[in-house]
Amino acid sequence: MRFFISASHRAVFGAALALFGPEIEQGLAVERPSAISFTNDVVPIFTKAGCNGGACHAKAGNGQNGFQLSLYGFEPGEDFEHIVNEARGRRISQTAPERSLLLLKATGKLPHGGGVRLKETSDAYRIVREWIRQGARSDVGAAPVLTALRISPAHASLSKRQRQQLQVTAVYADGRTLDVTEQAVYESNDRAMAEVDEQGLATISDIAGNVAIMARYQSKIAVLSVAVPQGSELDATPPTRNFIDEHVFANLKKLAIRPSPVCDDATYLRRVSLDIAGRLPTEEEAKAFLADPSPNKRDHLVETLLRSPGYADFFAGKWTALLKNRRENTGDITANFAFHAWVRDSLLENKPYDQFVRELLAATGTIVGNPPVAWYKRVKEPKQQIEDVAQLFLGVRVQCAQCHHHPFERWSQDDYYALSAFFSQVGRKPSSVREEDMIFHKRGLATATNVKTGQVLKPAAFGDAVPEIAADEDPRLRLADWMSSKNNPFFAKALVNRYWKHFFQRGLIEPEDDIRDTNPPTNPELLAALEKHFVDSGFDLKELVRVITQSNAYQLGAHPNESNIADRQNYSRYYPRRMQAEVLLDAVDHLTGVQTDYANLPPGTRAVALPDSSYNRSTPFLKVFGRPEGESVCECERAQSSSLAQSLYLINAADIKGKLGSPTGRAQRLATSKEPHEARVRQLYLAAFAREPRGAELKTALTYLTEPRTDAAGKPIDAARADRENLQDLIWALINTKEFQFNH
Amino acid sequence: MHTIRHMTQFNRWNAALLCCVTAALSPSFASAQSVGLPAPRLLTTMPMGGAAGSKFEMTIGGDFLDGVKTLAFSDARIVAAPKLTAEGKPEANKFVVTIDAACPPGIYDARVMTRLGLSSSRAFSVGTLPEVVRTSPNTTTATAMELKVNSICNATVASRNVDHYVFEASRGQRVLVDCAAKGIDSKLIPVVIVADAAGNDLLVERRGGALDFSVPADGRYMIKVHELTFQGGPAYFYRLILRELKESESIVRHPTTSTVNSFSWPPQGLANANALKEQEPNNTGAEAQKISLPCDITGAFAPAADVDLFEFEAKKGEEWWVEVGSDRFGLPTDPAIIVQHVTGSGADEKVTDVAELSDIASPVKVSSNGYAYDGPPYNAGSSDILGKLTIAQDGRHRLKLTDLFGGTRNEPRNVYRLVIRKAEPDFALVAWALHMELRNGDRNALSKPIALRAGATMALEVVALRRDGFDGEIDLTMEGLPKGVRAAGLKIPAGKSRGIMLVSADADAAEAFASAKFVGRAKIAGAEATRPCRLASMAWPVADAWSEVPWPRLLADVPVSVTGAEPAPLTITPAKPEPIVAAPGAKVTIPLTLARRGEFNGGKMSVKFFGVGFEQAPAAEIPLTADKAEVVLDLAALKTPPGEYTIALYGGAVTKYRYAPEAVAAAEAARSNAEKSVSQVEQELKKLTEAVKSAPPVKKAEVDLACKAMEAKRKVVVAALAAASEQVKRASAAAEPKGIVDIVVSEPILVRIQPAEAK
Repeated sequence: MRFFISASHRAVFGAALALFGPEIEQGLAVERPSAISFTNDVVPIFTKAGCNGGACHAKAGNGQNGFQLSLYGFEPGEDFEHIVNEARGRRISQTAPERSLLLLKATGKLPHGGGVRLKETSDAYRIVREWIRQGARSDVGAAPVLTALRISPAHASLSKRQRQQLQVTAVYADGRTLDVTEQAVYESNDRAMAEVDEQGLATISDIAGNVAIMARYQSKIAVLSVAVPQGSELDATPPTRNFIDEHVFANLKKLAIRPSPVCDDATYLRRVSLDIAGRLPTEEEAKAFLADPSPNKRDHLVETLLRSPGYADFFAGKWTALLKNRRENTGDITANFAFHAWVRDSLLENKPYDQFVRELLAATGTIVGNPPVAWYKRVKEPKQQIEDVAQLFLGVRVQCAQCHHHPFERWSQDDYYALSAFFSQVGRKPSSVREEDMIFHKRGLATATNVKTGQVLKPAAFGDAVPEIAADEDPRLRLADWMSSKNNPFFAKALVNRYWKHFFQRGLIEPEDDIRDTNPPTNPELLAALEKHFVDSGFDLKELVRVITQSNAYQLGAHPNESNIADRQNYSRYYPRRMQAEVLLDAVDHLTGVQTDYANLPPGTRAVALPDSSYNRSTPFLKVFGRPEGESVCECERAQSSSLAQSLYLINAADIKGKLGSPTGRAQRLATSKEPHEARVRQLYLAAFAREPRGAELKTALTYLTEPRTDAAGKPIDAARADRENLQDLIWALINTKEFQFNH
Repeated sequence: MHTIRHMTQFNRWNAALLCCVTAALSPSFASAQSVGLPAPRLLTTMPMGGAAGSKFEMTIGGDFLDGVKTLAFSDARIVAAPKLTAEGKPEANKFVVTIDAACPPGIYDARVMTRLGLSSSRAFSVGTLPEVVRTSPNTTTATAMELKVNSICNATVASRNVDHYVFEASRGQRVLVDCAAKGIDSKLIPVVIVADAAGNDLLVERRGGALDFSVPADGRYMIKVHELTFQGGPAYFYRLILRELKESESIVRHPTTSTVNSFSWPPQGLANANALKEQEPNNTGAEAQKISLPCDITGAFAPAADVDLFEFEAKKGEEWWVEVGSDRFGLPTDPAIIVQHVTGSGADEKVTDVAELSDIASPVKVSSNGYAYDGPPYNAGSSDILGKLTIAQDGRHRLKLTDLFGGTRNEPRNVYRLVIRKAEPDFALVAWALHMELRNGDRNALSKPIALRAGATMALEVVALRRDGFDGEIDLTMEGLPKGVRAAGLKIPAGKSRGIMLVSADADAAEAFASAKFVGRAKIAGAEATRPCRLASMAWPVADAWSEVPWPRLLADVPVSVTGAEPAPLTITPAKPEPIVAAPGAKVTIPLTLARRGEFNGGKMSVKFFGVGFEQAPAAEIPLTADKAEVVLDLAALKTPPGEYTIALYGGAVTKYRYAPEAVAAAEAARSNAEKSVSQVEQELKKLTEAVKSAPPVKKAEVDLACKAMEAKRKVVVAALAAASEQVKRASAAAEPKGIVDIVVSEPILVRIQPAEAK
């Protein structure tokens, strides 16, 4: 067989993008073919023309208007059936190929919802027509198999606004190669940094950093990684404290982005307390830390925070939301509290992460006896189980592969079902508690059936061979073994990336749970080093937090300079973020001195220690500020965006007013204390910002506190009341500052 | 807690105290009244145990504990006497308990004799360490209670609270922190935390385990205790054990009550010790431990995902019985066995499945805990193993024992005992108070002691677990009953698992109680075998089955009582004591006498039948307004073969029940006395007030003082009158007739079906 398009055929594609994809225009003269390959010549045309996208004829169900194509042409055999044989063969006319319904629709000669996809003058049109003329034959199974896709260049350092033409080469099983630059489909992982057109011409924007451009052809993908330097030489970086700094600063040097300087003590104290323990430092802690002359005080602070139950509470909140600890009815309370407590206690005792995941995946018994069993109460189907496990613990989204080959990944349906086979022997027997099963390993060979092919598959972990699993061995334990093996390409990477994002706001891979070849990390060396450090430490989560928070990269100031102001991905400064809902509520409680009360929990319980989602209903603050409901394993469920409702809430909500005016609150306590105004202001600033007020701030505050006040009728109000209300106003003002609401 | 609408713990000496105690401890009479006549229940004791050789005060609480005079235990070495006031009068709900120094440590049952008979049982622990009772709130780090190492603290946790304790320990010391809760009948799912002196958590245990704390530095440490979901109240009691351990000492936990399914352990005649020990490593075929059959092995499901392999030789046709005990020890395990025939070795090894053994199914259908009553919520089955192994071919066999719940858990305390024996046919028995569908959703009446009203018959459901192919019939008997109480066992037929025991009280029986002997007898291989029947009961009445799962346990013994204070509303007896004689296939009429001692809703009651050969009979109807009745049984339809039968009728009827009407008169008398006191004091006060007005200046101060004293006295008597009036209200409300549905069971009826006449 000989391919229709040779390397010399470089069609020129129109730049105009129709709603549903490109329209293929006139190409160059085409060499007369001897035989056209349906698999390798025809199907890629449908992909390039956008016919087999998920929104068009590859739409799940029945395609468009009864004509179904496989997504991105991953199933040419099915496509052949649909084009040639389905609908009594009316889509093809071999006697008059140009009268084929397929071509009449594609060229818009007959009404077509998708518009004109092929021009009659184009090579693509001629190829399809020629294929029909030759008898519309199938070569599925016989056509040379595409084994790899190469992109050139694969790495590049490009300056701002520079253009780069890509060349994409298909490699077939018989050793042949073919230039498919015209046929490939392109996508940038960050359109703000780089765009790419249909011909594979990439254009860099004004932002320095790392960007990737993906090329897809048939079932293969190839990626170009581009570094875009800022453009000026970088003289110096802060000193390096550990390997993280080496990699972060090396990347900044490569990109010539000048980092912000290391932050001051007060900022660090507040930042690291919020990031590790989800709380503001107390006034006493702030005073002590600021006065401490020890050069190692920041490292000591990290140790103290890691030892504190606040660390376990805060991170348990993160994990339990991802593990869907949601209350759907009142009977869930025991399961939810037990599960949350198990996560929290595991973190407190610093259970190795691989052990934690093993206990969850392979949980057996009853919920009270073994709380991770609660996960099996919420996530019941093997498919849901592997989808959650893959996304959460491996950073791989396999959902797509249930129905079709993953479009941006190498995962096939076989991979999907082979993974689900690990959960095929989860036995359930009723417990005495309604809707709670006891979980056990049900004896039998673990298998799963690919619903499309009917093939029965043994457990396999993303193509990694798993030795034979005996009928009386729990396959879930073998999955856990595979995950925690030192060479696992996903497990440690997914975790360190997730934790990196926790501390730096942006994952090295973003989104943090979408790790794939086509979504490369912004700093691969750093990710690899973190992964290695984590594995070498025995999957020690506290050590990971320690090494991150002790690095100077983490300690950089949040104020940008002219070099790094546009940087959003190279960690040249600390990216400020609004406090999470629970943390902010605790902070408001802390500053106002009035603790929010939660049902079924002891007074004094902090919002970060809430065990499940039910409190979002009873505490509107949490809902408004985006506390997740535990519906999905995605961190994105937590809304970190700002809204008018949030601003209005902090300005005006009844519970905020109640806290400010509470007779047991901080304003009242300060008002009745004998302390002078200045000491009061200092205390408030330490509580809110972990720092002393600056001169101007102090002056403004003192002026306000000593201003005479009058009532609505203009009469002076009594001094005690004025004092109290002035303090309430000052606290209210502090709550409504960005400095308070943000971790910076 | 629910509101209190009646007087559960009548206390003629201390009405004020009564209000506090009942309000705290008693569930709602209103919700309890709809199903099941009131039954006395001992629900709380404080403390919940004591050291052998000690004497201490105990306070009790519960349902329908009026007129408690006697606190009794399942062991004679524990005795109690009412606590007396300074005036020598018994103090309400307080006893002085004495534990003999020779009483071995362990769990016993406590119960009290009440107006309505002997109460349900509450676990009582005997230990060796000194004990204390927490007396003041310790819910903050600042109010933490000081505890000594090597002591036990008895306490309850309140809702949304965390109890705090502090103790002093030195570096290198090993301290065991154990919390007894569910194992002593508490509703508490305990969370126990060891924290530093500032209250920062160091170690946490939430799965019912104990904390083995190696003290890192000299100093003070804190223990926190709370409920998993921060529930609390009097039902959430616990015993906190703080004990120093030697370096190599293994942990021995606080003893616990026995689960229902433990009635079938151990098999008859199993040696207490000297069993063969499992030898690790035995996780792979090459390491399999060589044994020979029969055998008796002890081992542990540890470390996580432990596999224990044993190899033995056996010949085709051999039959063995395999039994594993582990779940029945109260451990959270699910043993599973695979037996395989093995040939070859190494790469050439070939294995063929011979047997797969898992759970012991309950011999009777267990409740699904749904809304409707669909079976007893007592599971006589287990996740342990009892099964037959038939050898299919000569040669080497490998037995693989694993814990299906042990994949990720590393708990050496999860032990097992594996017994492989030639058939030793046998049986084990367990019984519980019969329940039936009376009203959907109600499980309150499941918690019932064998406390008979005079003239009542109570049915116990008896279940047999048959071992090693035993299928003979089992006769049931009860001996050592209190005076005025009779028992009739309706046998467990051959091959079946369920029988009924009827316990009846004479209509004129007086108050009495005893610990009865309940046994089953059967012929095994020609010899008479007698086996005990254990009694199971609910630890708590469950008012709302939707939010709380009924939770049963075995009792230490079989307490039976009768009371004459309140007769049974209805007694159904055969009209004549002689057996009713019938020909095979005939229609037999059973004349009955009905003794009614109250009114009933509806004119009739539908009844079904207990007794082999009669259980399939269609429901019959009994009038609730007549003194006599007849039921007709069609022996032809029932196909009951000739023989002697004991049967009984049972059904549900709604009686108009009045609780302790005599208490109303007593309360009214008390109120009348209080009124007199008030009137007296008011007259005195009036006089004194006049006297103050007319007193000369020198006397004025003195008279003024007397007047003030009388004012104060008036306040006291007025308050006493208010309390007495309140008591009248409560007693009257309780004595108001209320419709209560309960099970009515007839006395046993003897039926003799004659052999067919020879033609």
